[in-house]
Amino acid sequence: MSESNGYAVRTAGVWKIFQQEAEEVQAVRDVSLTIGRGEFTALAGPSGSGKTTLLNLIGGLTRPTRGEIWVAGSELGALSNRELAQLRLEQVGFVFQAYNLLPVLTALENAEFPMLLQGVPAAERSERIRELFDRTGMTGLEDRRPGKLSGGQQQRVAVVRAVASQPALVLADEPTANLDSHASEALLDMMAELNRELGVTFVFATHDGHVMERSRRLVRMVDGAIDSDETRS
Amino acid sequence: MRARPSLHVGVILMLAVRNLRRNLRRTILTATSFVIGGALLTFSQTFDAGTHEQMVDSGVRTGSGHVAVEAPGFRVSRRIEDRLPGSTLQLVRAAVASPPGAERVTDVFYRLTVHGLATSATGARPAQILGVDPTIEAALSPLDEQVVEGRYLEADDRLAAYVGAGLVDALDLRIGSRLVLMAQDTHKEVAGQLVRVVGIFRTGIGELDESVIHVPIATAGEWLGIGDDVTNIGVMVDSSLAVPEIVRHLGRELAEPIARGEAVVMGWQEAMPALYTMIVFDEWVGFLVLGILFVIIGFSIINTVLMSVLHRHREFGVLQALGLTPRQTSSVVLVEGLLQTVVCTFIGVGLGLAVTAALSDGLDISGLYGSMDIGEVEIVGVTVDPVIVPVVNPVRILQILGFMLFVGVVSSLYPALRAGTIDVTESMKFER
Ligand SMILES: Nc1ncnc2c1ncn2[C@@H]1O[C@H](COP(=O)(O)OP(=O)(O)OP(=O)(O)O)[C@@H](O)[C@H]1O
Ligand SMILES: [Mg+2]
Repeated sequence: MSESNGYAVRTAGVWKIFQQEAEEVQAVRDVSLTIGRGEFTALAGPSGSGKTTLLNLIGGLTRPTRGEIWVAGSELGALSNRELAQLRLEQVGFVFQAYNLLPVLTALENAEFPMLLQGVPAAERSERIRELFDRTGMTGLEDRRPGKLSGGQQQRVAVVRAVASQPALVLADEPTANLDSHASEALLDMMAELNRELGVTFVFATHDGHVMERSRRLVRMVDGAIDSDETRS
Repeated sequence: MRARPSLHVGVILMLAVRNLRRNLRRTILTATSFVIGGALLTFSQTFDAGTHEQMVDSGVRTGSGHVAVEAPGFRVSRRIEDRLPGSTLQLVRAAVASPPGAERVTDVFYRLTVHGLATSATGARPAQILGVDPTIEAALSPLDEQVVEGRYLEADDRLAAYVGAGLVDALDLRIGSRLVLMAQDTHKEVAGQLVRVVGIFRTGIGELDESVIHVPIATAGEWLGIGDDVTNIGVMVDSSLAVPEIVRHLGRELAEPIARGEAVVMGWQEAMPALYTMIVFDEWVGFLVLGILFVIIGFSIINTVLMSVLHRHREFGVLQALGLTPRQTSSVVLVEGLLQTVVCTFIGVGLGLAVTAALSDGLDISGLYGSMDIGEVEIVGVTVDPVIVPVVNPVRILQILGFMLFVGVVSSLYPALRAGTIDVTESMKFER
């Protein structure tokens, strides 16, 4: 557990190989990466370079073919499926490209869903949601169903949902890809603020130049492997 | 990490209810088929049970009684050597006067059944001669109402006979005709008895009309030299559901004659195996037809739930990304299916029972038999009153509940398993 202090996630020699009929696809090749707490990191790279696969591995949605992944001090390979689900609940927040809210729940219920699963008391839940909705300009939209929200508003709810449960890191796969430039700029502002003021760790997979510009660390992937890794001051 | 992950029962229940509400039309459609199916299954069972009760009732009136007491060999031999001493009748009467007999037993009848010949100037015919108590028999057996000429036997008749129309034709008899009944007496010698026709009946059942003759039991006893002994004692109860209880009761009360090998007690099922087999068969045919109907309903549920599961892959992916295990994701779908099937099972069966209760005065099915002008309907050799009173047999209702819940669970289980085995990363791909 001592390793958990410095970083949110660490991968060591991680491979993910898909068997496509006779062919094998090396989606992630020998990736060793450490992301510290409070980082604001973008994974960039051409389509098919393995960004989504790497995020899914880190989030415990798939298991690596080889290598080890630590999230908040736990080595994922040592966890059962059930423990992995629990780790996602406690330590990982997800934001996907689109349509990742539960359609039968209101904005507020969606946002507090992970806290409900975590068993956070109602008073604390509504306190955290109120604060986050306030920060993200979502106040007043609490009772809307996702179908009645714009794409940008839906992504804000998804970000609030990912952040509210206070995970070790938030994984966001192309969060701005479905938004116009104005909405995506606003979403980025919001995430940058959460990162700056609350210390939330964000890892993005993105094609979006804006996202790359705004990130403080940019990891470029090519053909499943890390091609470059630069941190700006 | 927390030590014990919770089962998230409340959250799963909430999601299930929300999903059922979201697809209200589909939910109502599925629910309706389940409710109607359940109501149909329940009502047709109680109606069938009512029909069977009728058949049993009229069958045992002319036959063994709901509970039969006989000498051990009589069932097979059909001879008067295998008869009950007159004292047995007193024992049975005493037994039914004590609980639980007192509440359930409606009548006790007794008969002397003899196989013999009926002869007239014209010829001779084999006959089934029943020595009966005219008063009891008139109250109990439907035979006295099927008189076509003359009258039924009366209490002070001595040499009177009530004869089936077929036999009357064959022997060229009419009211007032004399005929001689012949049978072996207790000394194995053929004894004859002269009687006079006082009434003629027609049941429509050839077997009965061509062979049955009723005479007063006192006359028969003297004729065959057996005093007040009888071959059959029949006990009638208010519902055939009470038969096992009364069989046990009489078994205890008649323990001594049973131990001496003088008597046996049996339910109508054993005493009238043909009737019993027919009813069991009919019951199974009913179950089978409705069972098939229900399995079809089950498949339509699997189909609708499965369709919805196929459209919700992304949602299940999100649930798992948020920290539900595959099994918990399955249980969202399972609980959805169970909520509606369990609730609808109880509503359906309740509805069926309500219809049953509403028809507790009886349902007249004589219309089904078209222009038949007789007051009773013959179903496989038994005449049945066309007014059917549905009967609620708790065991059967529990079986229906169990069966419906089983179909509900099974038809929810498969889609649920599918929901739990989706590939999460596939389901989250944006193109989908
Ligand atoms: N389930 C799978 N089975 C087989 N191959 C897969 C599977 N998932 C991904 N791949 C392959 O792995 C490689 C990496 O895919 P991945 O989705 O991680 O790329 P990406 O960088 O996210 O691309 P994009 O920018 O288009 O989202 C691709 O060649 C892809 O075809
Ligand atoms: Mg991708």
